[in-house]
Amino acid sequence: MTLDHETRYIVLAPDCTMTPDQLVRTIHTIDADVIVKETCFGAVISGKTEAVRKVLTEVRKMDPTRIYSKVRGFPVGDQRRCRAHHGSRPGFAQLEKEWKDLTMVEKGLQCLERGEKVPPIKKKGKMPVKDLKTVCEEACP
Amino acid sequence: MKVLIVPPNSLILFDLVERFGHEPLSVMAVLQEKIESKEIESPPINVTVDDVKKGLKYAAIEVPSGIRGRLAIYGPLVDIAEAAIIMEDAPFMFGCVGCARTNEMMKLLIRKRKIPLLELDYPANEDEAKAMVAQIKTFLEGLVK
Repeated sequence: MTLDHETRYIVLAPDCTMTPDQLVRTIHTIDADVIVKETCFGAVISGKTEAVRKVLTEVRKMDPTRIYSKVRGFPVGDQRRCRAHHGSRPGFAQLEKEWKDLTMVEKGLQCLERGEKVPPIKKKGKMPVKDLKTVCEEACP
Repeated sequence: MKVLIVPPNSLILFDLVERFGHEPLSVMAVLQEKIESKEIESPPINVTVDDVKKGLKYAAIEVPSGIRGRLAIYGPLVDIAEAAIIMEDAPFMFGCVGCARTNEMMKLLIRKRKIPLLELDYPANEDEAKAMVAQIKTFLEGLVK
């Protein structure tokens, strides 16, 4: 927002051909003043906003539909969040779930790239009262 | 344009909004400012007097402090948002963004602002994900900068 520096997660989708180790090595070869930490899902990078954006742009070129990113509030290796210092990771359940679902999002992006027609989907509605009654009667006969 | 995402810390939405050329408004950037602020002793658990005041702008005094505390962070984001994307039924809407009442209230605040809004469901399969990505792209491309 108003700060001149940021921390970012770089997340590799589960079927990305690149490993977190290769990702970190690639980031080290880019001429940008950032701190990098390898994680199980990719990497966390921190530095001046321009440097972080430069790294992200370069890294994304390698596999655009399988490399994702978002900003992180806490800096790299922060003791309140880093597991090495017994920090808590309250957001990990969410990150893990979204990481697993990136395979689906990736298919969506590839579908757009190829200009394919999107399959029609039915809007999820509320459960009809009749069905709810059946469930209630089954549970409490 | 500044596009507010709900869930406010979603990786998928943050990435897609940025990918399609807009600025995502997320809770992470706000928390970064709070975490680095010298005012707070053990962030982000503590709140300052200013936070309580900010929360009162969005919810009445009778509303539980947890909701007001969260709205002190989400509310200003809603105020500056120029568009919003709400992803309903995200399975991870517990934990740090887990207050259902706050989420409902945030959605209400967004709808009351009458800004361009896209509401969709969290994808459960590949076809739904394809439709979601296409909907988000169409929505974001339609926003006039």
